[in-house]
Amino acid sequence: MKRKVSLFLCGVLAMGCLAGCGSDTPTENTQSVEITGSTEMATKNDAGTSDEVVEIKIWHDGDESIMQIIADCANEQLAADSIHVTFEKKSDMPDKLRMFGTDEVNGPDMYMYAHDTLGSFAELGILAPITDVIEEDVLTDMIPMTVEAGNYKDTQYLMPVYYETLLFIYNKDLWEGEVPSTTDKLYDYMVAHTDVNAGIYAVVNQHSNSYNVAPFIHGFGGYIIDKDVNPGLNTAEMIEAVTYNQKFAALQADGDYNTVTALFNEGKAAAIIGGPWLISGIKEAGINFGVKSLSDFTLPNGNALAPYSGVQSIGVLKYAAENKKESIKKVLNAITSPEVGIALANQSGCAPANSKAYEDADVAANEIIMAMEKTTKTALPMPNIPEMSVMWGPAESLLTAVNKSGEDVETAAEKYQQEALTAIADMQ
Amino acid sequence: MKQKRKLMPYLYSVPAFILIALVIVFPILYTAYISVTNMNLYHWLDYEIIGLDNYVRALTKVDSGFLTALLTTLTWTVLNMVIQMVTAYFIALGLNREGLKGRRIYKTLLMVPWAMPAYVSILLWRVGIYNTEFGLLNKILVAFGFPKQDFLATNVPAFISCMVLNLWMALPFMITMIDGALQSIDKSCYESAKLEGAGFWAKNIHITIPAIKGIIAPSVIMTTFTTFKQFDIVYLLTMQKGAHSGATLQTVITYAHQNAFVSNNYGLSSAVSIILFFLIMIFSIFTNRGVKEESYE
Repeated sequence: MKRKVSLFLCGVLAMGCLAGCGSDTPTENTQSVEITGSTEMATKNDAGTSDEVVEIKIWHDGDESIMQIIADCANEQLAADSIHVTFEKKSDMPDKLRMFGTDEVNGPDMYMYAHDTLGSFAELGILAPITDVIEEDVLTDMIPMTVEAGNYKDTQYLMPVYYETLLFIYNKDLWEGEVPSTTDKLYDYMVAHTDVNAGIYAVVNQHSNSYNVAPFIHGFGGYIIDKDVNPGLNTAEMIEAVTYNQKFAALQADGDYNTVTALFNEGKAAAIIGGPWLISGIKEAGINFGVKSLSDFTLPNGNALAPYSGVQSIGVLKYAAENKKESIKKVLNAITSPEVGIALANQSGCAPANSKAYEDADVAANEIIMAMEKTTKTALPMPNIPEMSVMWGPAESLLTAVNKSGEDVETAAEKYQQEALTAIADMQ
Repeated sequence: MKQKRKLMPYLYSVPAFILIALVIVFPILYTAYISVTNMNLYHWLDYEIIGLDNYVRALTKVDSGFLTALLTTLTWTVLNMVIQMVTAYFIALGLNREGLKGRRIYKTLLMVPWAMPAYVSILLWRVGIYNTEFGLLNKILVAFGFPKQDFLATNVPAFISCMVLNLWMALPFMITMIDGALQSIDKSCYESAKLEGAGFWAKNIHITIPAIKGIIAPSVIMTTFTTFKQFDIVYLLTMQKGAHSGATLQTVITYAHQNAFVSNNYGLSSAVSIILFFLIMIFSIFTNRGVKEESYE
């Protein structure tokens, strides 16, 4: 009896080992949450007859409530065309897309993600140019900066949906007088209203995070990496910007995300430089806040601050562009329509990429969205070349070396420029 | 019949062997295969075998940065192990002291750091203990009129901060092991020693330590490995993406991670992994040999 039980258990264990090897189901065993629109429909493919529904699967790694708004709005518009959009949340989406980007059965038809990963996907050869599916004139309604974000090596791969950028957010109950319009006056205000040992701050910022220091770097004419893959950590402009930022950093606590956010939400900092993702926490904390576009601040050289922008965009996988071209075209038009933009702005506070959405009265009355829209005049899309992924480390190391460890700016700039060059070479 | 009996143990072990082959052996072999290819972002689908080029590149990376990282790792391992062993030994002795009240409560409390997920513990320490604004240490400094200190901004304070946290996280395991070993010592040995006039140190040096040495040896080896390849504490406290603290501490593993694994160059990363794998294998062979020799004595 014992032997039989042992053999049976061995058999079960062996089957268990091999169970995952089957491939007859289209689902994969990774964690995913599916968002379908409000319309219930059946399936299948693009070449189907009129009563068959074409299912379009979009992977994302973002806020599910935002995807729900897009899915509801798009499916309503697409119902007449018998097309149904499903958003599937995938944690670590870029890695999963690398794995499934050529797998028509298990992979998605489209993906939605921040534009800065575009270069790596394009180099993998898994994306179709967006202009293979839609007419280029559709892009004319989009804010130019958001279109530029989806362009890699002169090919348009992405359709922008909404974007984010840094803002100057201040506590109206703590800020004294008008918010200045020059960074020098802002610094004077900080000196007069900061007491580091008491833990009271005028303005806090993630002063050693290159995304948050980018407004200064670009304002001084510097860059982290240019389109020709040249790192710019040791350029004169970068050194000037880092030196200028250093004196602000001394009055901005340790610059850690958790620290600066907590300081502002607890009323210990009168202002914070941060993105719209902070707003829900600020509202929860009951702060009476106002916002100002970073484009409204000028540097001593007369240039406005120019932050980075991350554009949530939608891309099309090659096999989907070949097999479901017509449906994909309609889905792209629906998702990037002003209606979806208005719904996103009004229900979720996102800044739509479609400029026509700003004609809506409620959108135009939204202080945060309008500040972001104003910032697009000076904001630059984050570089979408693959090499940018290895630049965050050296750029951040440069800033921390100067702001936290007290290293000499020029020495540190040279050191981390070399580190950046090595990191780029290692990619090849 | 005899032949069949000989085969049976292997037959019973087959499922386990299959499992080990799939979970452990296959990934190692596949990594070794990738390490001789040029698989990277630019050769994702069309990668080809390029021989040992990646190994040559990985080994030429053994520059001053790597040697500093190796020295830091050795210092880190030795200091942590010595302090850990000594502290755990005395705490375990204290827990075994006759007449100690609330022994179980102390033992349960000592388990807390072990029971908490490492990620949570590390981030809690970063904010709750070391943070310049909200950390306990700075609250104490400011209360006594001293200026705030950023404990993670420069290398030496950051190294000590990482070590204190590592001790906090690792001590429960070592205390449990030594505590268990202490229970196994025959109490009559101490009574005899006492009759012969042995004091506290003599009893520890001549009875306790020799008696528990063999029992705790496997735990010491395991902890030495864990400490040597420690990544989480150093990375999360000082070099997490978007939250660099300013210190430039590097252990062998964080150095390998920074130099190979963020590059999306899978061929090079795999070569570095295989080299590290062999380094740890060699380390393991030497330590196992040491243990064997000790047990034969």
